[in-house]
Amino acid sequence: MASNATYKDRQLLAVIGDEDSVTGLLLAGIGHVTEGADAQRNFLVVDSKTETSQIEQAFRNFTEERKDIAVLLINQHIAERIRHSVDTFADPFPAVLEIPSKDHPYDPEKDSVLKRVRRLFGE
Amino acid sequence: MSGAVGREPVFPTRQSLGLMKSKLKGAETGHSLLKRKSEALTKWTEITRRIDEAKRKMGRVMQIAAFSLAEVSYAVGGDIGYQVQESAKQARFRVRAKQENVSGVFLPQFESYTQEGVNDFALTGLGKGGQQIQRCRETYARAVETLVELASLQTAFLILDEVIKVVNRRVNAIEHVIIPRTENTIKYINSELDELDREEFYRLKKVSGKKQRDTAAADAEILAARKKQEAEEAAAGGSAPVKPEPEAEAADVLGENEDNDVIF
Amino acid sequence: MEGLFFNTNGGFVEGVVRGYRNTLLTGQNYSNLVQCETIDDVKLQLGPAYGDFLAALPPNPSTSALAGKMTDKLVSEFRYLVAQSVGSTAKFLEYLTYGYMIDNIALLITGTLHERDTRELLERCHPLGWFETLPVLCVASNIEELYNSVLIETPLAPYFKGSLSHQDLDELNIEIVRNTLYKNYLEDFHNFVQTHPDFSGPTREIMSEILQFEADRRAINITLNSFGTELSKQERRKLYPEFGNLYPEGSLMLSRADDIEGVALAVSAVSDYKSFFDAVGLSQGGGGMGGMGGGPADGKSLEDLFYQKEMEMSKMVFTRQFTPAVVYAWMKLKEQEIRNVTWISECIAQNQKERIGNFISVF
Repeated sequence: MASNATYKDRQLLAVIGDEDSVTGLLLAGIGHVTEGADAQRNFLVVDSKTETSQIEQAFRNFTEERKDIAVLLINQHIAERIRHSVDTFADPFPAVLEIPSKDHPYDPEKDSVLKRVRRLFGE
Repeated sequence: MSGAVGREPVFPTRQSLGLMKSKLKGAETGHSLLKRKSEALTKWTEITRRIDEAKRKMGRVMQIAAFSLAEVSYAVGGDIGYQVQESAKQARFRVRAKQENVSGVFLPQFESYTQEGVNDFALTGLGKGGQQIQRCRETYARAVETLVELASLQTAFLILDEVIKVVNRRVNAIEHVIIPRTENTIKYINSELDELDREEFYRLKKVSGKKQRDTAAADAEILAARKKQEAEEAAAGGSAPVKPEPEAEAADVLGENEDNDVIF
Repeated sequence: MEGLFFNTNGGFVEGVVRGYRNTLLTGQNYSNLVQCETIDDVKLQLGPAYGDFLAALPPNPSTSALAGKMTDKLVSEFRYLVAQSVGSTAKFLEYLTYGYMIDNIALLITGTLHERDTRELLERCHPLGWFETLPVLCVASNIEELYNSVLIETPLAPYFKGSLSHQDLDELNIEIVRNTLYKNYLEDFHNFVQTHPDFSGPTREIMSEILQFEADRRAINITLNSFGTELSKQERRKLYPEFGNLYPEGSLMLSRADDIEGVALAVSAVSDYKSFFDAVGLSQGGGGMGGMGGGPADGKSLEDLFYQKEMEMSKMVFTRQFTPAVVYAWMKLKEQEIRNVTWISECIAQNQKERIGNFISVF
């Protein structure tokens, strides 16, 4: 496969989530801030004040611009807000994973990937 | 429906028949191989069930993790979110990608590992709540492992899905287009060749019929001539022995008539 | 004698606090709370005690919003007390807020270090640790400016002076800064109640007991939490408050402790702490720190036991009269109550009812 070299560099996880999810995942040790002047974080805290465009931008940044991210975790209720982008993103790398948050339990009906699973089986 | 798929633009010759036959054979072999590949891959799509399971498991695991965070905020008596966000510098928890070969498809597998010696939150909760934070970190680390596992499954599924689609398209193309088309061509060539055969046969038959007719006419002539001769002889000799003569005559007839070529 | 004149200035405040104390949730309330099915039920149960403060919450609020509103009530009640108090009582109440100020300033230091917009942090600051000049600190763009404005603008200046330089803020982990400040604060507070002429008898007794306990608790926690980190023993020792039941011998032993057994040994001179360690001993002996607090509902963690002890001490304070210490006790009880309710509603919201009983109620 041609992508061999490109995904070997992907080592990090990234997260877009509410404060609690991000805090927890950072405690697990996934947080990474690049060095240098344009320090980039691999996480975004979304609260009620966060603009949808900001989420979109972070999503694009994590999925397209950054080449060091292997898995992007995103709270399902936040993925809902940018559902179109999430649904149209079909590349295998980085893997976009929708996770539940404390206040929003997981709903398999909304998951982009599970939707594709269903489509595959023609349900 | 063979009419719809048409046929290859070939001349109906024996050579192209041979070509088509080998093509058909190739297509059938390819079809059965691809079909088997597709079946093998589809069997692998049981990972979809595993995805489903893993996603459910994730729900539980994340809930437990979120709960351990609640324990932390109970023990610390405040919010550590901001501090944690600011203390994050180096990822301790990372993933490594490797490949797994499933029926000729390379599937990536993420494998989580922790970078030793990196600990951004060692002192968080030093005054109080440190033990809970420690526990919370472990719980979340386990949760993230589950997430990474799920991410592998999901990526594998996405790639497989793509490959299966391509393979199935090929299988269908061979099954519904290439094979009928080739068969159709073979049928066409065969029918053309048969037509030629029949024509030839008819021609030959016609020729041999004509030949027979001519021969029969010639025989009749000879016979008439001979009868005439006999009549003349009988009129002339009267009592002359008849018996031995036909033999000589017969041999003679053949010998004598040799020069008379038959013209078609 | 002090009882004779206490009421002149402190009587009203004390009376109000005793009134507040009666609104604290009781065991009966808690047993109602744990049976709730939704956060709305919890809200309903809290109605009598919290009234209007919860009215603005949307249906099925998040636990953090609920806790926020409960804290609001605590804050407004405390502010009322501050407004009503004069003289040494007012000073005493001011001391109570310093602990929160330390947290707020630690927050701002963190933000400034990472060049964030510290104005956004203001709303994250604990309202009790709010002081008028707090927004001024946000003007500081680098750590040196911040250090100078902390020295000038905040009541915490004495805690910085002498033990932390502005380089320290830059270099030391924020937790070390925070704990250094806290140590200085506790020592200062202790010194204040012991030496102020207005306080005598009950106040000194009670507060010295409580603050000593607090000092010991911090020392023990710091020791336990520093295992496996880069915090050296010398640095660790600097964070121990220099008073308390463990000071000086116990502190010295703590500073030398390498593991939990060492800590247990260091505290064994004080029977209370010894019994705490004995109680949790089994769960932590083998599993180390990871095993702590991980027990089932009945197995309390060390922190739980400390909280329990603190609550009992706070409850006992109300048996004394003529002292502003009841305010301190009330605040601690109230904070624990908020934590309890948060815990219960968290358990309800996340469907983890098995451990819902893991709160501390003393009434």
